[in-house]
Amino acid sequence: MPEFSPGLEGVVAAETAVSEVDGANGRLIYRGGYLIEDLAPVASYEEVAYLLWHGELPTKAELDALRHQMALARSLTNAARGALEASDPATNAMDILRTVVSAQGSTKTLTKPTLDEAVCLTSVFPTIVAAAYRRSQGKEIVKARDDLGHAANLLWMMEAKEPPPDTTRLLDTFLVLLADHGLNASTFAARVVASTGSDLTSCVVGGIAALKGPDHGGATLGARNLLDNIGSAENAEKWLTEAHARHERFAGFGHRVYRTYDPRAKILRELAKTAAPELYRTAARTEEVALEILHEAHPERPNATNVDFWASVVLTGAGIPKELFTTIFATSRVSGWTAHVLESLSNLRLIRPASVWIGPAPGHKPLPLAKR
Amino acid sequence: MSTEYVPGLEGIIAARTEISMVDGANGRLVYRGYVIADLAEDMSFEEVAHLLWQGRLPTRAELDALTLELAGWRTLTGPATTTLEALPSDTDPMDVLRSVVSVQGVEHKLEKPSIPLAIHATASLPTILAQFHRRRQGLEPVKPKASLGHAANYLYMLNGKESSPELVHALNTYLVLLADHGMNASTFTARVIASTESDLASCLVGAIGALKGPAHGGAPSAVMDQLEQIGSADNAEHWMREARKRKIRFMGFGHRIYRTYDPRARILKAMCERLNSKFYALASKVEETALAILHEEHPERPQATNVEFYSAGVLQAIGLPTDMFPTTFAVSRAAGWTAHVLEQSAHNRLIRPQSEYIGPEPHKPVPLAERS
Repeated sequence: MPEFSPGLEGVVAAETAVSEVDGANGRLIYRGGYLIEDLAPVASYEEVAYLLWHGELPTKAELDALRHQMALARSLTNAARGALEASDPATNAMDILRTVVSAQGSTKTLTKPTLDEAVCLTSVFPTIVAAAYRRSQGKEIVKARDDLGHAANLLWMMEAKEPPPDTTRLLDTFLVLLADHGLNASTFAARVVASTGSDLTSCVVGGIAALKGPDHGGATLGARNLLDNIGSAENAEKWLTEAHARHERFAGFGHRVYRTYDPRAKILRELAKTAAPELYRTAARTEEVALEILHEAHPERPNATNVDFWASVVLTGAGIPKELFTTIFATSRVSGWTAHVLESLSNLRLIRPASVWIGPAPGHKPLPLAKR
Repeated sequence: MSTEYVPGLEGIIAARTEISMVDGANGRLVYRGYVIADLAEDMSFEEVAHLLWQGRLPTRAELDALTLELAGWRTLTGPATTTLEALPSDTDPMDVLRSVVSVQGVEHKLEKPSIPLAIHATASLPTILAQFHRRRQGLEPVKPKASLGHAANYLYMLNGKESSPELVHALNTYLVLLADHGMNASTFTARVIASTESDLASCLVGAIGALKGPAHGGAPSAVMDQLEQIGSADNAEHWMREARKRKIRFMGFGHRIYRTYDPRARILKAMCERLNSKFYALASKVEETALAILHEEHPERPQATNVEFYSAGVLQAIGLPTDMFPTTFAVSRAAGWTAHVLEQSAHNRLIRPQSEYIGPEPHKPVPLAERS
């Protein structure tokens, strides 16, 4: 039996063609063999979702059909609407998403995950996220527009006005970049759930649950909070030096797999310049100082700005309030989760690892209650 | 370090734990040092939950305090009740549980998992299930009774009257037996989610999703369905030999870890004989036949009746409807899930394994207009 590797670091837990994180060379490859930097400038989220689900980019006709199918699948079921309206508007948006997706995907009997279900679940995320946002603002929920794409419609439902093309493009690029990333914790959670023969909604809800954690999708909010605390480029050095002395971790830095600059962070960094110039200035200086401090502390570790750091600036530039960051991440990653689940079905095997016993030697008899 | 891909992570160590040990070679299940057979008959579910959470059996005073705490947290929140009522009455009870546990556990700010939160969550599961079951029969919900223990109160809320001590004892034993089981798929899901520093409700919701799968907790109802098809002990041999020709799997047999008879199955089998003689007459004959056929086919494999097989007969004797077998499994396992989440969170490292890329090598995408 192999030795225990904490966090399963380096342990291969699946074979996949959905995506590959080539950490050594700083490459992220999406299904079909496309590098993320080749897809991001040209492909819409719908094209990338199609790619992850089908294994090839869509033709014009296939893309039109998918857009049409997604536009028709944006409404909530009565049960999901009931769950949404029952929620306290101040509730964490990820908890609302977790609950409403669960209600939306509730069924009478167990169903095997299908591509159509993947499309439907993916389509409904913006509806839930936007509704949670509107309710938190005390505003009326806005109906979906079936003439808008996935990203544009999300912004429309949030603000009740049609977004400028630049803003849509920012959000769309974010959605493309974050759609899949190898066997990250939420995707792995979804695959473990799938391995029991459970339904697609359960897998997706498990993915949402894992993404919520600050060590995963919650890191984008963490990065933005860091920037808010620092406040300005001029304050970065002082703030970070003091934080480091208090042994605080810098949100937005560090990744287990990349040994070079994360290719997604590189793209987002470029976009951030024009998306949110003021915040960019703070972020660029923060990155510079943080990397210096981290390098001094651990010269053996690689360059470590992660995707969350620059994503927080780009999402801010797209007008997304930080409380929604993790839900927007989920809105992107759901296509990856579902693609992984569908892939795993062709060779399903229960994921059931072992554990090492470190408790007391077994066999001593319990004392009766009265004698304890 | 990178290890070879092992499908299903079989034999791969994913955690160090002192909560429970499945000693497959010797057919022992150990909770915190105690062998399950020493706990099953005399301990209440509350005592075992205390054992799993705190690492030791409670004193009288501790048990009283825990019982009081559990009784105090049996009420659903307003949003949880409204969500439950929004779900159609023919919804799969596992989907109801997944959705309502999600809403019952919502928070405004991210909270670290704790024993009080584990107690609150565990306390609420029977209420969710009982309220739903009453509702789908067109009956009024029954308020929890603080003077009753966890098992007795569950039955009381389901039926609107107190059950006999014999049935309460049977349910309690079932809840004790199923409360934890090493690194099973749902517990592992909960730990993966906890490893991102997500909240306790997220871990539970993910675990419920995993337990739903027929390769995990979804199996007890399948056992019942198969026994119904076989119909009588006289028909067992004929039906099962015919079934094998059509490659039909025998439900309730096979386990990855036990090399001897599952110790829980042994206890449940004896309970079936006492409580459900009709079931026992058929099931014991089916078991005998199944083991004989399986042995003929694979003489190298061990004896393989699993816990689901006789669970079905016990839960039927208690009066639970078949579609609530998996959810009742969840009522029990909630204690183990939460104990594992607490352990994971006390010694946390993000669970983020690797995958092996089996897709094509990188190449450039063809622009949309040129795709055919």
